[in-house]
Amino acid sequence: MNSPVVVLDRVTKRFVGHTAVDGLSLSVPSGVIFGLLGPNGAGKTTSIRMIMDIIEPDEGEVRLFGERRAVRDHAARIGYLPEERGLYPRMRVLDALVFLAEVKGVARRVARSRALEWLDRLGLGDWRLRRVNELSKGMQQKVQFIATMLHDPDLVILDEPFSGLDPVNTQVLKDTVVELRRRGKTIVFSTHIMEQAEKLCDELCIIARGRKLVDGALSDIKRTHGGHHLVVGFDGSAGAAQQVFAERALVKKVDDYGQYAELELAPGADAQQILQRLVASGARLSRFELMEPSLHKIFIDLVGPEAARAAARPEAETVRA
Amino acid sequence: MRKVWAVVRREFVERIRKKSFWVMALLGPVFFAAVFLMPLLMSGGGGLKRLVVVDRTTTTFGAVVAERLDSTQRFFVVGRVPGGPGVEDSLAREVGLKRIDGFLVLSDSLTDMGLAEYRASNVSSLEDIGLLRETLGRLAERARLERAGVDPAMVAKAQIRVSLQTKKIARGRTTEESAGQSFSLAYFMMLILYISLLLYGVQVMGSVIEEKTSRIIEVLVSSLRPFQLLLGKLFGVGAVSLVQFAIWGVSGRLLLSQRASLASRMAGGGRDVGQVFQVPHVSGATALVFIAFFLGGFFLYSAMFAAVAATCSTEQEARQSQVPVTVLIMIAFFGSFATLANPESRLAVTLSLVPFTSPIATPARWAAGNLTALDVITSLALLVAGTVLVTWIAARIYRVGILMTGKRPNVRELVRWIRTA
Repeated sequence: MNSPVVVLDRVTKRFVGHTAVDGLSLSVPSGVIFGLLGPNGAGKTTSIRMIMDIIEPDEGEVRLFGERRAVRDHAARIGYLPEERGLYPRMRVLDALVFLAEVKGVARRVARSRALEWLDRLGLGDWRLRRVNELSKGMQQKVQFIATMLHDPDLVILDEPFSGLDPVNTQVLKDTVVELRRRGKTIVFSTHIMEQAEKLCDELCIIARGRKLVDGALSDIKRTHGGHHLVVGFDGSAGAAQQVFAERALVKKVDDYGQYAELELAPGADAQQILQRLVASGARLSRFELMEPSLHKIFIDLVGPEAARAAARPEAETVRA
Repeated sequence: MRKVWAVVRREFVERIRKKSFWVMALLGPVFFAAVFLMPLLMSGGGGLKRLVVVDRTTTTFGAVVAERLDSTQRFFVVGRVPGGPGVEDSLAREVGLKRIDGFLVLSDSLTDMGLAEYRASNVSSLEDIGLLRETLGRLAERARLERAGVDPAMVAKAQIRVSLQTKKIARGRTTEESAGQSFSLAYFMMLILYISLLLYGVQVMGSVIEEKTSRIIEVLVSSLRPFQLLLGKLFGVGAVSLVQFAIWGVSGRLLLSQRASLASRMAGGGRDVGQVFQVPHVSGATALVFIAFFLGGFFLYSAMFAAVAATCSTEQEARQSQVPVTVLIMIAFFGSFATLANPESRLAVTLSLVPFTSPIATPARWAAGNLTALDVITSLALLVAGTVLVTWIAARIYRVGILMTGKRPNVRELVRWIRTA
């Protein structure tokens, strides 16, 4: 793959009382949708804020487009949707959008026509002359999403872009993100909703308590963390399947429903061997399927204990000098 | 530069569009009008006084008084009645019915002992009473002298009034400006400077707080430098203030030119309005000094307000933290006010050299007419130097502060911000 767009190199950020991000390294290749996943308080927003140069890492460094320059020098190439949304509440929607594009260096007229185009596209055309505070929260979120896009950035960083959106708008936003990737843009987004990440991400990184648990291409992650789960369905007779399930060398865990069972393979066990043993035991099989685990499952397996601990403490991602 | 320009335009356009801006723009002229016309209205209240003279004198003195009062255009002598029992009571009833405003009781004791009596529904108009007293005094004086055999022509000569004209010498040249005019000019300039510095400083503060609380600042600082943002804000709000001054200036001029007719319409009298309130002449140089020092003070104080706002997370916090800055402006105003009568005192000189007070003190002293061009330039140079320094410090606090949330920093932390930013 071509040179990475975003690189975090052993980045650490400590706040009073706790370490928000702990030696995190990751690399976002160009032209992918990259998911930054983690439970609440994992350090996603802190990481993104460090990428955006809003807070400085205590250790390590952030490189954008292969350079160690401040985000502002790349301002025209980066679009950023912060976690805590904010717009000028008393400004008119169109004016606010044009202004936010202008400070990115877009000419006024261009900004205007692009803003109108986007507003129409996201179904907000009729609201362009309304004040921002007359809009619903979801609408404001879409307006802010538009603001991150107006300067046609190469890198789009979205912090929890889907939170607070209804299914229809989630769909619209998802389509837009996919469309951006098709046009060769790089998208980094954070979420704790695995279903979305699973559908969208090419690459991802799961973090918890400031540390990286796993990263890489979604397919690779599934391969390394998958292949251990087996679904077996019986057609009338289960035969001596129970005995096969009881063999610790083959099966680590079983969830037996009588006519249906979910197995977790023992380390090193081969699914084919189980199939042979089941047939030999006289069971009539209606189904034998090696399951690819959902990202959700992988996430829970990896993060579960961490998440439980993290949930016990409030998300403390405020900045302190 | 284009980015700064975008910020300037946003601050400017959004403010000009606000209702509050136009309320202020209209309130200004209303305020000026009130100040110009108030003394007139207060003194003029009611216009002509209808008066009856109760003449108990044994001479023609009563007739002379009645005639003279009638010619003052302040009193209209409805009639002259001889004194008798019950006259005063019936006249009092007439006053009660508002047919007349009052009556004057004259007897020989006026020329003998200087005693007379005035009864009216309103005896608190100092001007009316003063005029009455003066007229009676002069006539009594003349009557006494004439009775003693002094030539009436001589008496008339002796009674020529003194009219003291005051003319200000400004920068070595005698001007047509009176003492009253310079004082009112200095006072006005101080008042407008004081109000404007506070008003627009607080607007800059509000703008910073708005961006901070709405978190839009996170998007902004990833687009432009905090200093660019601060600069854009200061210029944008500064431009709004200049537009405000232009509106006030033009409307003030218009009001002034229409003042005489306005005044006569409202007060009913055709008297010279200039006597009531001295209208200052605002020269081009004075306007220039005013604008220069306002802008210097505006940048100085607004930068401080911006820095204060950057250290706060909510508007309430900001309102508390701004107190030191507000107090500085108040010191500048009240200090200048206190030294207005004595603009050469050491305190006055000091106030016009210190950058925090000079934005108000120097224009005031200039208007009072005691400053040379060199004094003004020195003061302005110090102000510019001070403004640059303060803005530099404020920008550093601003830069760190705008992205902070949570606890407000203490002084030690602030110093660290300034050093490390």
